[in-house]
Amino acid sequence: MRNKLHKRRDFIERSTLSALAFLKDATFAEEYANCKGFLQSLDPRFKTITFLLFLITAVSLKSAVLIGSLYGVCLTLALLSSIPVAHFLTRTLLFIPLFSLTIVLPTLFSVVTPGEPVWSFHCLGIHGVITRPGLDGALLFVVRIATSVSLIVLLSITTRHSELLKVLRVFGIPQIFVLTVSMCYRYLFLFATMVENIFTAVKSRVGILSHRQHGQQVVAWNIANTWNRTTQMSEEVYMAMLSRGYTGEPRLLSEFQATPKDWVWLVCAVILCAGLFYKGYTL
Amino acid sequence: MSDIIFELKDVQYSYLGKFPALCGVDMTIRSGEKIAVIGANGTGKSTLLQLLDGLIFPQNGHMTAFGERLLEHSHADEKAAHRFRRRVGLVFQNADIQLFCPSVREDIAFGPLQLGVAEKEVNRRIIEVAQVLDIQHLLDRVPHQLSIGEKRRVAIASVLAIDPDVYLFDEPTAGLDPLTVRHIIDFIVKANQRGKTIITATHDLHIIGEIADTVYVFGRNKRIVRGGSSESVLNDRLLLETNNLVHIHRHHHDGMEHVHQHLPLEPHD
Repeated sequence: MRNKLHKRRDFIERSTLSALAFLKDATFAEEYANCKGFLQSLDPRFKTITFLLFLITAVSLKSAVLIGSLYGVCLTLALLSSIPVAHFLTRTLLFIPLFSLTIVLPTLFSVVTPGEPVWSFHCLGIHGVITRPGLDGALLFVVRIATSVSLIVLLSITTRHSELLKVLRVFGIPQIFVLTVSMCYRYLFLFATMVENIFTAVKSRVGILSHRQHGQQVVAWNIANTWNRTTQMSEEVYMAMLSRGYTGEPRLLSEFQATPKDWVWLVCAVILCAGLFYKGYTL
Repeated sequence: MSDIIFELKDVQYSYLGKFPALCGVDMTIRSGEKIAVIGANGTGKSTLLQLLDGLIFPQNGHMTAFGERLLEHSHADEKAAHRFRRRVGLVFQNADIQLFCPSVREDIAFGPLQLGVAEKEVNRRIIEVAQVLDIQHLLDRVPHQLSIGEKRRVAIASVLAIDPDVYLFDEPTAGLDPLTVRHIIDFIVKANQRGKTIITATHDLHIIGEIADTVYVFGRNKRIVRGGSSESVLNDRLLLETNNLVHIHRHHHDGMEHVHQHLPLEPHD
């Protein structure tokens, strides 16, 4: 009873801290991006463009087998990039197909997708028939989602987020936008840590058990305090930018350097996608 | 006269027009000088550095930098602003403010790039300053993963990459471990030996003997209450006591607790 009360009381704090921990984990974990591996060795521009190409291929193909083969390529790339397969599969396959299956569930049945029946059943007086076109459509949908998500996850975990942001410039995004997003990314961590510290400071003074209403007050105070500090800090950061010569039009370092390996990779990726498109067309 | 870099006459500044930060400061800073500005918290040291860096401008009084009057509208001209920024660099007290880029390399490159330095030269400077401050291994790290000492060294590197004539340091050793303090003091001393003008705001009196030849003491009235050689200022017990700058500590001697104060240059008994 006491435990239940406790859990309910610090619900807000736990939710906030869990959200912050997830945010930090998802956004700032660069463990695999710093590993030595095939994808990590590629120029981020080439890597992003080829993954975009794979993504377009995955969403355009109408054959689950061909999309599945692209998924195979994705897994091979993960292996070559020192990504533990179990971790990768857990991250990409455990929840996403389950969610997509829930979405496509109605399309399995003859009511939504008529066609050749594969299996019929009676449940609670309802007669249900699963059809082959329904099954094929659902399979295609799930495989497509799993492949697309896996490609995106693979790209994001093998590339530093700062590099991914800089790649945006290849697509003609203005430097000021890239700089602003980069700074948001930079300070997100700082403010997440600040909010965590405030919770720890409150806990150190009032203990773990606090009334729910008090918890809400702490959160409200936290929001106001963080807002004040972000406003103040943004002015100071602007001063620091001015101090180093910023006049409104930023110039950023373009560190990317393409190597023959990047070009070979690009050609291979284009050939692979063209081959898959051709195979899909002739099927 | 030509070697005067900054000249301040009765300079006043207040925040939001009602919170005074500087109430009539007179100061002359010459090229190659090593100056410390000391004072208790809230006496206007950081505000002075921001004025000297052209981030804020005097509301009253007269201030010149490199022989020209420092006015807000003169910095509206990009060329004039860049000319000034190439000559003056400020290392902020809070390194998290100064390091706003997603990687250390980009933070070091930011200043020179904005000031129109060619990218090839910027890359050369990155390697050079990284070697000087021993931060080669940090170049591709993100700033939020660094320790306070590492952040401070990267912040100094971001200014060093501009290679200004005047370095302004705001509490450069606050909160750092002794070894990092040593590295920063060595850096400041070497920069001065290369002809750079150094102005440091601090209340760490123990480092002043090394980083300053001239010391200005700021009082509670937000004015300079005394200026002079570091030795004469640091030996003036009454001045330091009055301005809340004396080091007081408590320790044990032969099982007895002992509380006393001592001056930075005074031998400890």
